[in-house]
This record gives sequence, C-alpha cells and structure tokens, in this order.
Amino acid sequence: MTSRRDIMKAGLAAGALGYLPFGITRAEAQALASLQIFVPAAPGGGWDGTGRAIEAVMRAEKIMEAFQFEHAPGAGGVVGMPKFMSSKKGQPNAIMIGGMVMVGAIIANKAPLKLSDLVPICRLTGEYEAIVVPAESPFKTMKDLVAAFKADPGKISWSGGSAGGTDHILVGMIAKAVGVDPKKIAYVANSGGGPVIAAVLGNQVSCGVSGYGEFAEHIKAGKMRLLAMSSDKRLPGINAPTLKEEGVDVELANWRGVFGAPGITPQQQEALVGLFDRLIASEGWKQELIKRDWTGIYMRGNAFGSYVEAETTRITGVLKDIGLA
Amino acid sequence: MDTFSQLMQGFAIALTPINLLWCLVGVAVGTAIGVLPGLGPALTIALLLPITTKVDPTAAFILFAGIYYGAMYGGSTTSILLNTPGESANIVTSLEGNKMARKGRAGAALATAAIGSFVAGTIGTIGITFMAEPVVKLALKFGPAEYFSLMMLCFITVAAVLGNSAIRGLTALFVGMFLGMIGVDNQSGQLRFTFGVTELYDGINVIVVAVGLFAIGETLWLATRPKEQQEEVLEVKDSIMMNREDWRRSWKPWLRGSLIGFPIGAMPAGGAEIPTFLSYSLEKKLSEKPEEFGHGAIEGVAGPEAANNASAAGVLVPMLALGLPTSATAAVMLSAFQSYGINPGPQLLSTNGALVWGLIASLYIGNAMLLVLNLPLVGLWVKMLKIPAPHLYGGILIFATIGTYGISRSVVDLMLLYAVGVMGFFMRRFDFPTAPVIIGMILGPLAEMNFRQAMTISQGDPMIFIQKPLSLFLLVLAALALLGPALWGLTKRWRGVTGEA
Amino acid sequence: MLGVFMIGFAVVVAYATAAIPQSTYAKIGPAVVPWAITAGLFVLGILLTLEGLRGGWWHDEATQLDWRGILWLGAGLLSNLVLIDGVEFGGKQLVPAFGFILSSTLLFACTARAFGSPNFLRDGAIGFTLALVAYVGFDRVLGYQIGSGLVERFI
Repeated sequence: MTSRRDIMKAGLAAGALGYLPFGITRAEAQALASLQIFVPAAPGGGWDGTGRAIEAVMRAEKIMEAFQFEHAPGAGGVVGMPKFMSSKKGQPNAIMIGGMVMVGAIIANKAPLKLSDLVPICRLTGEYEAIVVPAESPFKTMKDLVAAFKADPGKISWSGGSAGGTDHILVGMIAKAVGVDPKKIAYVANSGGGPVIAAVLGNQVSCGVSGYGEFAEHIKAGKMRLLAMSSDKRLPGINAPTLKEEGVDVELANWRGVFGAPGITPQQQEALVGLFDRLIASEGWKQELIKRDWTGIYMRGNAFGSYVEAETTRITGVLKDIGLA
Repeated sequence: MDTFSQLMQGFAIALTPINLLWCLVGVAVGTAIGVLPGLGPALTIALLLPITTKVDPTAAFILFAGIYYGAMYGGSTTSILLNTPGESANIVTSLEGNKMARKGRAGAALATAAIGSFVAGTIGTIGITFMAEPVVKLALKFGPAEYFSLMMLCFITVAAVLGNSAIRGLTALFVGMFLGMIGVDNQSGQLRFTFGVTELYDGINVIVVAVGLFAIGETLWLATRPKEQQEEVLEVKDSIMMNREDWRRSWKPWLRGSLIGFPIGAMPAGGAEIPTFLSYSLEKKLSEKPEEFGHGAIEGVAGPEAANNASAAGVLVPMLALGLPTSATAAVMLSAFQSYGINPGPQLLSTNGALVWGLIASLYIGNAMLLVLNLPLVGLWVKMLKIPAPHLYGGILIFATIGTYGISRSVVDLMLLYAVGVMGFFMRRFDFPTAPVIIGMILGPLAEMNFRQAMTISQGDPMIFIQKPLSLFLLVLAALALLGPALWGLTKRWRGVTGEA
Repeated sequence: MLGVFMIGFAVVVAYATAAIPQSTYAKIGPAVVPWAITAGLFVLGILLTLEGLRGGWWHDEATQLDWRGILWLGAGLLSNLVLIDGVEFGGKQLVPAFGFILSSTLLFACTARAFGSPNFLRDGAIGFTLALVAYVGFDRVLGYQIGSGLVERFI
C-alpha cells in the first residue's frame, strides 16, 4: 500500500542515503530506500518488538531511514501471511517478520500455506526454552522430573503456552525422547507466559515451560528452580544444564526471522539480505540484543530457507505425535 | 528506607513540571479513548511504544499509567449517556446508568461514576503502596480450581441482569457462551465453530461484540423507530450534581466495589469485567430498594464503576511486584520496560525503585487530575445529548468503525460488528436483555478453560474443586447466593410448622 | 416463531459441534462444553416456542418499523463495508478502495438521513470533517492503522 506521500518520502530518503549497495541497479536501490515491515501479529507482541528493534537500529545506524509498519494479527500469523503474500507480491522492499511459532501454527491449523512460498531473508534471533519447577518442588534435577514422568505421565502437569505452540512442541519432543506416549502428557495450556509464571509461582503445577526470558527474573530471585535449557550447548550467564546433558536428546530454538514477498528476484532478495548483513554487523544491534535479552542466531538467505524446510518437517512429526496434526 | 519516605521521593519525581505534563497528557488521551467505543488502553499504549526511544522511562510510564487510569474513567460516560459502553468493563454501568440518564439523572450518574472511580482508584493506589505483598500472595493461591469456582460465583450474577424473563435472559447467556467458544480451543488446539474462516481462528473479540451489540444495535434500534414517536427522554431535569440522598446511597457501594475490584484485578486471570459483575449483583442483593434495579438505581452505577477502577489498580500489583502481566494493558507496559532494558521481575522495586515509586506517586496525582478534569466535564458531557440525533449517531458509527477496523484492518471484523449489531437490534425488538451475551462470552470460555486445566492437573478427578479450601469456600458462597433466598424461605416455613428455634 | 428460530440455531450449533475433532488427548475434550451449550440452546428454544404459543410476551408489537430508516442505515453500513478497503474478486479489483474517510462520510450522511435529517449534502460535509479529524488524530498522531484511500494519500 504505497501511497504517493510515501513514494515522495522514499525518494527523499534515497537522496539522503547516498549509499548504493554493491551490484544493485538504481531502480532497486530507490525501492529499498524505504522498508515496509509487515507484522502478522498485534502491536506490542514479540514480532512487533522485533520489527521495532530493526527499525530503531537501522535508523540509528543510517542503514535505512523510512519505515512503514503494517499489522495483521491472528492465529499465530496464519491470518496475516496470505495478506502479505497477495498485497506485497513482487514488492522488493516489503518484509514480513515471522518465526518458529508460525511453522507450528500453519501445521496445527491445517492452513493451506507454506513458509517456503515466501522468500527467505534471514534468521535473526532465537530464544531457548527453559523448564522450571516451583521452589518448593521435590524435583531437584531434570533427571528427577523425567524419572517421575516416566513412572506416571499423568501425574506430572506441564504448564505452558497454547496447545500446539512452541512450549507444547518441546514437551512432546521430551516425551518422545524418554519413551513416554506423547498423548499421555498432562499439558495445561495457557494464553501466554504470564499465567505460566503465576502457575509455577503459586505451586499449582509440577513444572513450567516457556522462553527463558519469561522466567529469568524469577529464577534469579530464587522463586523458581531452573532444571534445564533446550539449547544445544550451555548458554553464557545461564547456570543450568542442557536437556542433552540430562539425558534427553532434544534441542529446540524459538527463532524469529525475516521473509521477503513472493515474486521478487534473486537480486532483490540479495539486496534485502545485504541490509540485514549490515544490521547484524552494527554495534547498535549488539547493544539491542543485550538490552532485550535475545540470542543472535543469524543465518542468511537460502541457508535459512533450507533450515525452515527442515524445521517444518520436524515439527510436523512432533505435532502428529501429540495428536494435533 | 520505609515505604512512606520512598513514596515521598516518588512524589518528588512525579511532581516535576514535565512529568506533571506527561501525566496530564496521559489522562486526557486515556479519557478520550475510554469514551470512544472500541478503543482501549492496551492498543493505544502498544501504538505509543515507539515513544520509548525518545523519552526517559519515568516519563513514558507516567504517560502510560495516565492513559490506563483515564480509560477506566472515560468508559462510563458513553455507557450512561448513550447506552453504548466504551469498554467491556463498563457494560454493567450502562444497565442502571442509562436508565438514570433516561430519567433525567445523567448528571448524578456521571458524578457518582467519576467520584466512585476516584475513591476506588485512590484506595487501589494505597493498596499498591502498602498491600502489594499480601495481595500477591493471595492472588497466587488461585489455581485453575479456584478460578473455576470463582466463575461459578460470577454466573450467579446473571440472575441479577436477566430482565423480565429468565428464559430470554438465559438464551442470551447461552448465545454469548457460543460466541465465546469460536476459535482455536486453547487446551487442545482444535478449531471450533470457525466455519473455515481464518479470521475467526483467534475467536471473536469481546470488544467487537460489545460495540456491535450496544453501539450498532442501539443505533439501528433508534433509527428504525418512527420519528414522531421518539421522545426526548434524555433531557436533564435534575441538578447536575448528586444530592444528599445520592451520596448516602453511593458511598458504601464505592467502598465495596473497591474491595471486590482490587484483589480480583491482581489475580492472573481476574480482569476488570468480573468484579463489575460481582459488584452489581452484590449491590442488588444489599440494596434497600432492590425494586429500583433495572430502573436506574444509583448503587448499580457506583459499585461497578468503583470495582473496575480498583481492578485497574490491582492489575498493577503483580506487574510491579512480580513482573507478571495479568491484562493485555499490563503485558504491553511490560514490553515497554523491556525496550528500556529493564527486566521487570521480583527485584524491580530494588533495582529501579525510583522509577516504580515515581510511577506510583503519579497514580495518586493522575487520579486527582482525573477527578478535577471529569467533574466539570459532567456538565459538558450532558450537553453532548443536545447534539441532534442524526449527527450524534452518525458520529458513533464512525468511531465504532475506527475502534474495530483500526484494531485489525480487517473487513471481516467490520462485517462481524454489523452482524452482531443486527443481532442486538433484534434482541432489543424482541425484548431480550443484551448484557448476558457479554457475560456469557467472557465467563463461558474462562470457566471452561479453568475447568479443563483443573481436571488435567487432577487427572480427571472432579473432587479437586472441593478438596481445595479456597475453591470450596467460593462454591459454598455461590450455592448460598443461588439458593440462599429459597432456603431462607424454607427455614422460615419449617420453623413455622414445628415451632422450634 | 422466535422459538423455532432458536431450535434451528441449536441444530446448526449441534452440527458444528459434531464437526469438532475429538482428541482423546486432553482429559476433557474440546467438544464437551459445546455440547452442553447446544443442549442448553435446544431446551431454551423449546421453552421460547411454548412461551410464544401462549403468546403475549412480545411487548414491542405496537411499534411499527420505520422502513425508510432501516434502508438508509443498511445502505450506509453496506457501503462502508464495500468502500473502505475495496472489493477484490477473482484477482480483479471490482470496487477500488475509497478508504476510511470517504466511506465514513457516506456512512455518516446515510445514518443522519435514517434519523430523519433532511439535508444530505450538509450532513456529508459534517461527516467528512469528522472523519478527516478522526483520521488525522488516530492514524497520524496515535498510529492506529485505518488504511489508505483516495483522500488519505493527500494528507
């Protein structure tokens, strides 16, 4: 939805920018003088935060000056994605924020969409999942929890986000890895991280599963105990073993990334990737990652595309196991 | 340092001219979006998040808190004057408030709402200052079983708003519960009643239904009545302010509403609507003149309005004490903390004390500002009724459009809004009460979710609801509220027959 | 009549409930509460029918509908739906997106007409001003996204 005003703005910005990335024709550079960020979620959420962070840092680092935001919330991105595909088709300066949540949402909602229909730009950030128990809990280690879970799966209640979401997927993977029928999990689904924190703090459930960031402050304050992280190796600053170290062969990152509109040329794709190369290299972005407690797991272009394909296959399998696909 | 001296330091921060200005801007914007149907504080604050890159955290939070409190004040105005609630927490207010306005007592209704909001907001803020810890402890005791029992208690409130016919009231309730079921089932991830429409996957927004049912429904209803029959009922006959009798009947509901609203607001699944339902039904039970309910009883405005403002303060308790968001607005405010690199959590008070106490102090100030702003506005608002009906309702429809389309940019939502409006029209025409639809829509899915969560935790054993003392207590309370009057009658008769004491 | 309608509604709800996939996974499945609601709607539908047959509870019978008002308002709402974002069908733009300001202007004028205001053009002017002010305030100042259209792109 480029209005006349924005084209004018874009032209001005292009003049001011005075920087032409290598190998890009003049017309393409002009188009890239403004960036349309499409967020398939409501303002104020995680994807919106990612988009705003991109905007703030790109502006500060003079990578890009003109931004337009558009939001289309609903169903983990399933409502927004088709809108992005039809309204931005072939537009070289349109990007959509997305992530692992969307992979699950597309499968679980049986939406006739494929993330591979979009042009992969990059994986930006990731957050690893944490498994915590109430401070009063008898489980001291992940091994304790797994032993109790294997003995009587129904007795261990797992509190996490909505059914079929990242947290649920992780629990399904754990169950499968330790040989428990994933359909027997007593999963207590909540809308968002807040209720999960409350349930763990109030000792209402056996354990809680969510992104580490949600729990971080409560773990530091000693109000809950961190048993394990879903990362492939130990993370700096987090004093807990990985699931793999605890004998559960599972690894999961809740990643967020950027996609381009369908129908753009490989050159146009490369131009967008180029923007993010510069973003990642900038000092401002490093600061932003620290400030927001994000882990940078940059992966560019078509490598990211193959990664998304592999994730889709893997998650489809897990969702089938827990009876959601 | 003790609480009091910290609070004084907070005032020193909040009382600087620039922060006072932010507070004023906040409460003014908040009042405006509160008045307009469909526009709420959560989205407005989310849209203002980019401001965090430009101003310092104290100023931003004072602005956001002002918007939040202001929206709670503003919502009552249109409920009372036009029977079109600005927020779902003000639906109950319209029940008695609009009836009062129709009797020419709009001024008194607006005044009791404004003063009640001030009283409750102040009590709530005092609660944040001194009671945060015990309230958080109580709130965390609530698990799925306790919530389910609380919902059962709330369902009793439907009895208070049934209108003339129990059958029609219950029908409205069930239709509301049906609407609430639409979308992806949170516990199992299955789609329910979406009929293949992706826009319905996340369910229907309560705001869309509330605005459709009230604002659109009311407009359709009035537009289709023959013009010569339209009476000018809303003329203000009385004095604008409350009289002595109004004060006498209002102060207890204000206090009771505050006491209900504050702790429920602090609960992770409490919200602002539930305390208004509870307060309304409590006031109806305790009123000296229960027969006035449904015809403009001032207690029915004073109690719920106090309850929703106190709950707004309650929401801030777990947010500031634990970094725990219990409402959409609190979640957005927390993400604002994060964009400053502040991690809200149990240590927020010790790591960012100045910010928190400045924020709390600004709540006292914002509340006072709102009262000063709103009392004189009562006269102005009442004049709004002098706008000719064609333009007044044309304007309402425009703002209802912004409130819906501006949230999602979805024509599907707009269609839903109008469809619900048509439903609201038919409900008015066939004398169905509309409030139970909203009650069902809010309580139905919540009750279901907590019931199923509790059953998952207990491995399918329903005894969990009576084994937990707090849950049992709430269920007994609900049973008493439902059966109490009947039992009372029975005991009396039984005493009469046997002659025993 | 209304009771029959409610029963019909209950049947539709029952049909849709039957379409909810049963997952054995959760302790209480996703269709349990919907079935309870279906049953409730059905019983209430029957009770409403009985009440209707006994007659006399429709208090509003005396009031006649103002059909002209309904038509004007209906036209206003419908035009708003069609014009605000345009209509696209089969890849072709059947109606261009007029945008919020113009569609709201029409909505305002039609509503005013439905309430018996005689001067359509003057109402249109008032509506245009109101929509313009609202657009600038909410879209440009507060950042609500109310979309773009024929007038919006010049602001």
